[in-house]
Amino acid sequence: MGESVISAKSVYKIFKLGEERVIALNGVSLDVGKGEFVAIVGTSGSGKSTFLNMLAGLDRPTRGEVIIAGTHIERLSEGELVKFRQKHVGFIFQAYDLLPQLDAIENVALPLSFRGVSKSVRTKEAVKLLKQMGLEKYMKHRPTEMSGGQQQRVGIARALVVKPEIIFADEPTGNLDTKTTIEVLHILQDVVHKEGNTLVMVTHDNKLAGYADRRVHILDGEIVFED
Amino acid sequence: MRFADKVGMAWNSLLKRKLRTMLTILGVMIGVASIVTMMALGEGLNRQSLEMIEEYGGLRTVEVREGNAQSVQSAEGDGASGASDPTAYKLSESTMEKISHLDHVESVYPTLEFQAVIVSGAYHMTLYSGQAVPIEVLRGMNWEFEEGEWPKEGDELKYVFGNLVISDFADSRDNIVYWNTGKTVDIDMMNAKMFTIFDVDAYEALHSKNNKQGTDTGNTDNQTGSAASGTGGTGETQTASPPSAPKKYLVPTAGVLKGGLDDYNQYSWNTYCDLEAIRKMFKKVFKNKPIPGQPVKKNGKPYPELFYSKLSVIVDEIDNVDEVQKAIGDLGYQASSNSEWIAQAREQSQSQQAMLGGIGAVSLLVAAIGIANTMMMSIYERTKEIGVMKVLGCGLYDIQQMFLAEAAMIGAGGGITGLLLSFIVCIIINKVTGALTAVIPLWMYFASVVFAIIVSMLAGYAPSKRAMSLSALEAIRNN
Repeated sequence: MGESVISAKSVYKIFKLGEERVIALNGVSLDVGKGEFVAIVGTSGSGKSTFLNMLAGLDRPTRGEVIIAGTHIERLSEGELVKFRQKHVGFIFQAYDLLPQLDAIENVALPLSFRGVSKSVRTKEAVKLLKQMGLEKYMKHRPTEMSGGQQQRVGIARALVVKPEIIFADEPTGNLDTKTTIEVLHILQDVVHKEGNTLVMVTHDNKLAGYADRRVHILDGEIVFED
Repeated sequence: MRFADKVGMAWNSLLKRKLRTMLTILGVMIGVASIVTMMALGEGLNRQSLEMIEEYGGLRTVEVREGNAQSVQSAEGDGASGASDPTAYKLSESTMEKISHLDHVESVYPTLEFQAVIVSGAYHMTLYSGQAVPIEVLRGMNWEFEEGEWPKEGDELKYVFGNLVISDFADSRDNIVYWNTGKTVDIDMMNAKMFTIFDVDAYEALHSKNNKQGTDTGNTDNQTGSAASGTGGTGETQTASPPSAPKKYLVPTAGVLKGGLDDYNQYSWNTYCDLEAIRKMFKKVFKNKPIPGQPVKKNGKPYPELFYSKLSVIVDEIDNVDEVQKAIGDLGYQASSNSEWIAQAREQSQSQQAMLGGIGAVSLLVAAIGIANTMMMSIYERTKEIGVMKVLGCGLYDIQQMFLAEAAMIGAGGGITGLLLSFIVCIIINKVTGALTAVIPLWMYFASVVFAIIVSMLAGYAPSKRAMSLSALEAIRNN
């Protein structure tokens, strides 16, 4: 394993629910190397999603350090987190979360528009990635005109378009049938192994986690074992 | 994020909810239309009142009359006459010069008011306010003529009569005038031979004598004869010192101002002529005797120059009238203008306009609440969408600006359509009332759209702030 792209050091996240303190993460440490495909596995309520949010710079830990691509994200302000995500992170959602009023190309190009990339450049990039995802015929389709698998492939293309150092995927196949799930996981594997991206995937399904290079099992806010 | 992209995103999300967007725009449209229409009504009223003032004598004119005679007299009475010139506050050429050098004064012209008696056939009239004004000034006025036109420069003395002057003529036999009978005398004002007697005092002396005799003897023909022919009073023989009959002069008519007997404006009762022409006439008539109405020196001799009755000072702008009026007053002359009236009329029309605008503003306020409501709803609906955009690296201010752009577009749409609507409404109002009752001021075209955009953006501000501060995390969890 090369240098670590993600490094979490005894991360705690404590939520306050009224008077009660809920410990979502209880001193979790994890290193993810460049080009690795890591699955974070745990049941619902185990704290895996909370952990992913920390790693992706969506949320800040109560205590502990999260260093991603050399940046201490626990010290960043909301605005700086946005800039950080623009630069380093791609995201794949469980419910695809494409913008309904935009077609496939526009959806894929969206993160580039947030960075101020011109329309012609970002359209070219989007078309290239959609072709790579095998969606030549769906370039001009809106999300409602596509199947779940197609939508998720658009979602993956959208995550890749900014050429991120790390891609985070939160239950990326949660809404898909088995056949499509396997398709999507193969694509994700390709992305990591052929393109050399780092991928962190959260799932509750141990079988799906089998596609990853490494599995980290979380239970009650702690890493119980890795394999 | 590029500005065009933000606008594009905003446009997309408006298009996605067409019906709701249309309804929101409709609200703004009605709000803007009611404000603009109300303001246009106010402006129409304003213009009408200013036009009325204009009819009663210029908006930018300050009228100057000679300074307080009492103060001049008392100065004389104190025996300080050597120090104080009795003509100091009279209106002379040098006064005109002085006033024309004041700030904001565009031009000054003099008026010499004179009295005369005009006799034509069996009719006569006393001209109480003949107005002698430099002919180039008169020619510059765009007054309409019933007949004829202004005399030319350098012409001999010619009159221009106001449309109501004819009703001043009395029948010399019975002294019955228009006001007694409701019928005007049978004179062709343009072509009748009209004789003018400038030495009114002499005429009056003779006239009253004849009148007395007339009442004594019941012979009115005497009177007529003396007035019409001027060959010498028939009553002369009965008086110890008979007043010599004043000389009469044939003065042609150059024109009659437009209007019937029911039309009145500030010119209707006046008779106008060229100042230079009357100056020459006076020289001929009075030679070196004093002219009636003009001041005389202590020894009873006239001054070499003619003093004016009135100076009309044209001010460059309405707003400066007050200042000029005060400056002239400070010089010791009596200055008056319509400025108080104008100020009052303006104040009144402004408060009317404000009230009307306020009524219109209520509906725009309702529309603004509508915008805020629509935007709020749309943000709740799009919570997840906003969260996703945030996660994908959309800047916080970009999100806010997208929502503000949406609000601005609603405002612009409502502003432009509202303006068109009010334009149509104003045309209809003007058609129905048959006058310019509703006038949309030029600045309104621009201001109403800008105002609608600003109001919409203000209404959209709180929702946009909310969208900005939505937690990305909660948003994406919101399945």
